[in-house]
Amino acid sequence: MLLTNIKNIFIGAYSICQGFRVTFKNMFKKQVTLNYPVVKKSMTDRFRGMVDLYPEKCVICYQCNKICPTAALELEHKVLEDNKTKKIVKFVFNGELCCFCGLCQEVCPTNAIFLNKMYEVSYFAHKDLLEINLMVHDKYKHVDGGIEPPLYHKEGDGGVEGGVK
Amino acid sequence: MGELLTVNMGPQHPSTHGVLYLELKMDGEIVVDCKPHLGYLHRSIEKIAENRTYTQFIPYTDRLDYLASMNNNLCYCMAVEKLLNVPVTDRAQYLRVIIAELNRAISHLVAIGTFAQDLGAYATPLFYAFRDREKIMDLFDSICGARLTYNYMRIGGVSADIPVGTEQLIKDFIAYERKMLIEYNELLTYNVIFLARSKKIGILSKEVAANYSVSGPILRASGVKWDLRKEEPYLVYDKFDFDVPVGTNGDSWDRYKVKLDEIEQSLRIIEQAIGGIPEGNPVSKVNRVFRGTGEVYLRTENPRGELGFYLVAEGGFMPYRCKIRSPSFSNLSVLPELIKGLNISDAVCVLGSLDIVMGEIDR
Amino acid sequence: MITILLKGAAALGFISLSAMFLIWLERKVSAWIQNRMGPMMTGFQGTLQPVADTIKLLLKEDIVPTGVDFFSWWLAPFFVTVPVVMAFLVIPFSRNIFVLDLNVGVLYICSITSVCVLGIFMAGWGSNNKYSLLGGMRSAAQIISYEVPLLLSVLLVVMQSGSMSMQGIIQAQAHGWFILKPHLALAFLIYFISATAEVNRVPFDIPEAESELVAGYHTEYSGMKFAMFFVAEYTNMFIISAIATTLFFGGWQGPFLPGVVWFLLKSYGLVFFLMWMRWTLPRVRMDQMMSFAWKVLTPIALLNLLVSGWFMVK
Repeated sequence: MLLTNIKNIFIGAYSICQGFRVTFKNMFKKQVTLNYPVVKKSMTDRFRGMVDLYPEKCVICYQCNKICPTAALELEHKVLEDNKTKKIVKFVFNGELCCFCGLCQEVCPTNAIFLNKMYEVSYFAHKDLLEINLMVHDKYKHVDGGIEPPLYHKEGDGGVEGGVK
Repeated sequence: MGELLTVNMGPQHPSTHGVLYLELKMDGEIVVDCKPHLGYLHRSIEKIAENRTYTQFIPYTDRLDYLASMNNNLCYCMAVEKLLNVPVTDRAQYLRVIIAELNRAISHLVAIGTFAQDLGAYATPLFYAFRDREKIMDLFDSICGARLTYNYMRIGGVSADIPVGTEQLIKDFIAYERKMLIEYNELLTYNVIFLARSKKIGILSKEVAANYSVSGPILRASGVKWDLRKEEPYLVYDKFDFDVPVGTNGDSWDRYKVKLDEIEQSLRIIEQAIGGIPEGNPVSKVNRVFRGTGEVYLRTENPRGELGFYLVAEGGFMPYRCKIRSPSFSNLSVLPELIKGLNISDAVCVLGSLDIVMGEIDR
Repeated sequence: MITILLKGAAALGFISLSAMFLIWLERKVSAWIQNRMGPMMTGFQGTLQPVADTIKLLLKEDIVPTGVDFFSWWLAPFFVTVPVVMAFLVIPFSRNIFVLDLNVGVLYICSITSVCVLGIFMAGWGSNNKYSLLGGMRSAAQIISYEVPLLLSVLLVVMQSGSMSMQGIIQAQAHGWFILKPHLALAFLIYFISATAEVNRVPFDIPEAESELVAGYHTEYSGMKFAMFFVAEYTNMFIISAIATTLFFGGWQGPFLPGVVWFLLKSYGLVFFLMWMRWTLPRVRMDQMMSFAWKVLTPIALLNLLVSGWFMVK
């Protein structure tokens, strides 16, 4: 009885020493964090950032508007006098409602709308986030960060060919 | 016995995982009664499902159990596929298994880390678990573009194929994680203070567990060998060889150990699956406009237990009713039984070992 | 008289610097153990972080809750900080650098650090908060229980060296540090565990951690009063390491380098070990802690005393 108690004390002490060894080894391993904001990490190719648009590619099919789960995209168009060409009147993205799911970039038939690589998104005024005009080319110039579309989105680099239709 | 003290372990608390409000009646330091109040995270996801098409609802299923998003996506997509008879390609089956098992591994890592933090091992096991988790989250980031709410599965397959080099990254991760599991055993599992804090605390017997319809690692820690991947195999789980770890006593230490062993079994499944992914399309080429009639209930094995989707369709583009059977809700209901007669420190230990996520309790 | 005042002022200056250094060291050590970087932006490698912390605490609003017991609540931080500062009277930094060399040095230190219990209890009672009261009572029980093994192990050192003054004990180790003798190594182990419980560090930090429900005895304090509790804790850590260095590791003795450097190296080494322990071990439960003190540590300390006393007399 006494002997088992003494043995238990030694086993307990040994287990604590093992724990110390683990933390001691970890003190000398390389750090896994980055010294942000001095060092910044670049995002992966398929990262889903803010919604962005190439206005010249848009064919005004309204697929992105219909598929958005939170109705964050507003689109209006008008037909010109020759009754054939359509022109976008308003294409506004609501940054507050968007849940960054990426469904809009999947359904777009011409790869006009996409999600870029921006992750440092802060605005000083709430209304700036509510109505981001997608037709302007320098809408995100106040923050730096990548504004490229993902590769697979363009020419079928492993993704679903041409997006989910 | 003097008069009872009512203590609010209120909605904001460092040890309740999320916004859980426990009203405890205590006699000195011993808990006499416990009443959980829920609903602080209710977002009416089930009602929203009645106004979204089948594909549009997938991002919402991410946010149920946000630590195991891929498994939620998987269960919902499988339910819709069974309802509307949509075929799934072979490549998609294998990819789904690999991704679901990876997500199971990292969800269990969070459970282990936060359990250790509740017991007072300030942050060190948590940071180690999150360091391992980062590798897989970066991998998921390169596959689908997000780190927590993935929106990866689609009806009929997955949304995109895995990029070049993913298989090697997964193999490296498996080798690395096996070494880390040995470290967790040394640091935490057999530590005498950890054993003293969690052995024989909150013992859940088989009968009580069955009566409260507890599922998942908690049920297996009580000695019941029940795993939906073996009992009702879905996807291609019947092609892989893996064990189901079972505990002996049903105390908090067993619940922790079962989760640790399940990570190892998940790594085994992934190893077997990585070798033989068939070629093909990641998603089946069917008409992407989904409509149909019928009703279906489908259940899968989430990291936290048995997740079930009950879908009723009446011919439109949107389901008529979507009911979600969440595992954490049933697991939480056994808490008042377990903590009667325990100290406050032990009550926190039991709550941590039950591993609940408020997102799926309140929906 | 004037020299003693000047030396006291120098000791106060040392305390402030040491506390700031220890705050930085704690954050850096925790970061290295957890594979991350710790403070980096405030000064080179975060060395100005304690300055930033001090300025923040100075600028915080001093909230006084309603219904506090005036004398208990206001005086509690002083009852915790002043004994800790007074313990610096006898700490021997080197052969010539010390404030006073009392011939009952060890007894003085042990008794003066016991006054801290009073401060904690006053903080718990005066806060008009039942959870603070529970935390204060738990802390009082813990500290008083762990005084017994602490004193028993220190008693063994006094028996071995034959004097109670700090410099006397160091002189007695001129032929070999006490840690190298087996019965004294066991005494060091018991001393270290008890001292960890005395300063409320993990694994014995039930009173001060976010102890699950109760927020601890210093919850109702903000601003500089909280800073005083904070500084008292870190300085207490340094004191028990300094005592351990003096009693078991030979104090300021060592080759080549001057005595002060050796003393500081050894003390801060033990402080580092305390911090390492914090980030590795989980917390013990209250009843397990008390049963450990009374059923394990005290019998072992008594047995140790008995057996080595018998050998010494023979």
